[in-house]
Amino acid sequence: MYFAYTPEQEALRREVLQFIKENVTAEVTEEMEAQAAAGTRGRGPKMAALHKKIHARGWLGIAYPKEYGGQGGNRLSQYIVEEEFVRVGINIGLGGSGAPAIIAAGTEEQKRYYIPRLISGEIHFCLGFTEPQVGADLASLRCSAVRDGDYYVINGQKMYTTTAHSSTHIYLMARTNRDVPKHEGISIFLFPMDTPGITVRPLWSIQNNPKAPQGTTYGESRTNETFFDDVRIPKSCLLGEENKGWRVGSMGLNLDRVGASRYLISVRRDEDIVNWVKTNQYDGFAPGKDPAIRDKIAEMWIEAQVCRLMTMRSMSIVEHGGNFTYEGSAEKVWAPEHGVRTTEAITQMLGPYGSLLSSSPFAIEKGVFAHNVMGSFQSGINHGSVQIMRDQVAKRGLGLPSARRSTKKAEAK
Amino acid sequence: MDVLLNDDERLIAESAREFVEGECTIAVARAMESDALGYPPELWKKVAELGWQGMCLPESVGGSAMPLVYLGLVLKEVGRAVAPLPLHSTAVASLAIAGDGSEAQQKKYLPAVVEGKSVMTWAYTEQDPRFVPEAIKMQASAQGEEFVLNGTKRFVDNFVAADQCLVVARTTPGSKGAEGLTLFIVDTKSKGLSETALVTLAKDKQSEVVFKDVRVPKANVIGAVGQAWPIVERMLDRGTALLCAQMLGAARKDIEMAFEYAKLREAFGQPIGAFQSVQHMCADMVIYVDGGELLTFEALWKLDQGLPASVEVSQAKAFCNEKCEAAVRNSQTIHGGIGFMMEFDLHFWFRRVSAWSMRMGTAFEHRARIAQALIDRPGKVILGRPVPVTEVA
Repeated sequence: MYFAYTPEQEALRREVLQFIKENVTAEVTEEMEAQAAAGTRGRGPKMAALHKKIHARGWLGIAYPKEYGGQGGNRLSQYIVEEEFVRVGINIGLGGSGAPAIIAAGTEEQKRYYIPRLISGEIHFCLGFTEPQVGADLASLRCSAVRDGDYYVINGQKMYTTTAHSSTHIYLMARTNRDVPKHEGISIFLFPMDTPGITVRPLWSIQNNPKAPQGTTYGESRTNETFFDDVRIPKSCLLGEENKGWRVGSMGLNLDRVGASRYLISVRRDEDIVNWVKTNQYDGFAPGKDPAIRDKIAEMWIEAQVCRLMTMRSMSIVEHGGNFTYEGSAEKVWAPEHGVRTTEAITQMLGPYGSLLSSSPFAIEKGVFAHNVMGSFQSGINHGSVQIMRDQVAKRGLGLPSARRSTKKAEAK
Repeated sequence: MDVLLNDDERLIAESAREFVEGECTIAVARAMESDALGYPPELWKKVAELGWQGMCLPESVGGSAMPLVYLGLVLKEVGRAVAPLPLHSTAVASLAIAGDGSEAQQKKYLPAVVEGKSVMTWAYTEQDPRFVPEAIKMQASAQGEEFVLNGTKRFVDNFVAADQCLVVARTTPGSKGAEGLTLFIVDTKSKGLSETALVTLAKDKQSEVVFKDVRVPKANVIGAVGQAWPIVERMLDRGTALLCAQMLGAARKDIEMAFEYAKLREAFGQPIGAFQSVQHMCADMVIYVDGGELLTFEALWKLDQGLPASVEVSQAKAFCNEKCEAAVRNSQTIHGGIGFMMEFDLHFWFRRVSAWSMRMGTAFEHRARIAQALIDRPGKVILGRPVPVTEVA
């Protein structure tokens, strides 16, 4: 056990903080806010320049091998850099990037093509997993990929393809065989979003009216639904073996459930409320002196520490080259549910002021707490709901027997 | 940063488990619940041969000077076996002597602890059960080369088995709060002491001890007269973190019994563990105990490094109090009726976790301490950095 960062890691953190102080200017933040509010494509020019600068410092993909454009460094250093950038609203992590799955299942050519470009930000995937009526039962997906000579032809619809409008590529899970149990007929494809036949339509979340302020860490104002009409892609787009996509996809998700971004999503507001009650009062009433509020703040603070330590446990396991049995899933239960508990607790501390959204007079901390009421539970739903995660903890972690599971063949389209 | 056990730590934990599984069966725990002393002296000798009492005591008294984390791992196994050993109370007192006692005091008292010839305890609580200095009313007045102690201590752990007891008392008449407190080593055979057994739901040995003109030599003062509070705070922090470890061991075993039961017990044509309502309870149970363990060992590790750890200790105890209790309560629920039966062993763990959750600070007390560090001290708080804030930017 070693519950501290090494002097080298502390030095790295200071270096990153200094960089952020000098480079994440008010202009950059304003541009990020405007981009997010408009739901427009890609990074703005200021953010793109900043991203290039971060890349030049060697802070992207630290834990990835050098031959694929990484730094061959350790996972924890990468975590430290990611944590500090997420704190200022910049997610530089490769969490939902598809990179872990490509490293694990990709051909040498795919690794050499994608990983350096994912690290540099030249390529960015959106995830095409869920569909209408699919959700938690992901293996029941219907979007199909039919082999046609050296091509596959994709037809179907994907839901909640967040960033599909700004991504260069899609990481798509599709059905390649309907005549086998549903988990055994799924494959994964990687291809550009400008391939003919793809249509992206926006879906706006309840956080969008008015716009969530920068620093509201939950979800996105905009997500999408994406349609595929006879989309022809070369067979080289297949990731891993045909019909073996379920395992590859689950693996990618597992690593996506942990890390700096996921951790901070759930705990940012704990810091905010402590720092707010320290310095604020209403006409002589100081919430920070109220014993019931103090008790609740401390309770939430402890829960946030458990979020942090569970993240550190996941990092430790990865660092030792191990695999999660249930730890990633446990973290994905505790942290999102904590996020909801603390959001609700904070609004009870603030009373009616807690309901004020970003555009309102008297909004506290630009209305982040109110916006979080509409968003905090998202984290417990996306990328495997907390109920699915509990199933996994119970079965994989504790060896409890499976409930009778449907193994019937996939339904016809 | 590495929250997993290293090879040495794993070895300590495994060998401790092997020992308690062989020597401390539930039959021993059952027998000791109605025993006058509450522990088997021959077992105390055996654990001394393994070096448990001296694990974190200095080499100068025969100890092994190992980190507190190791003792935490051992106490976790003691809790797991609900082993009736006075190890926790002995550790709290002997570590205070080792940390803040004079060389003469260490030489006088600690070798016997290391050899398993001494059991120790400590007495803080009086009528007011909070671990705040205001709760101390016991008076100690100087008379020649002695202090004379008068007052009452409650919830003294293993007093009936102990030969030495650390006692916190007020040496400055009229002093308030943390001022004027002194820590004494008191021989439990001293004239003027009388003990009344308290009957706890853990059926462990807790006592009320009345001090009537108990004479203690000045040589038995730990640290300076009237300056004991920082020493006492360290003693309580160590003891609280170690109690968490013991509680977690018991809770872990308790929930494992529920997981096994859920795999075997059938209802509606399948094991109850195949029902998601039960699976989700079980998932929460393991998350609770894991969370407590991470908090507790972070606290112990920081104590080992000599870093400020009061907040970490309070985080661990407040969380364990509520979450270990919730975990073992779920375990009772999963077991159904059989879990409530005297002849079924589950209650040994349930009763102890419950009782330990009420000792050494309630969730409210510990959270109040955290809130004070978070809110009442200057500086911007950042998760993952020390609290109270040390560098004000």
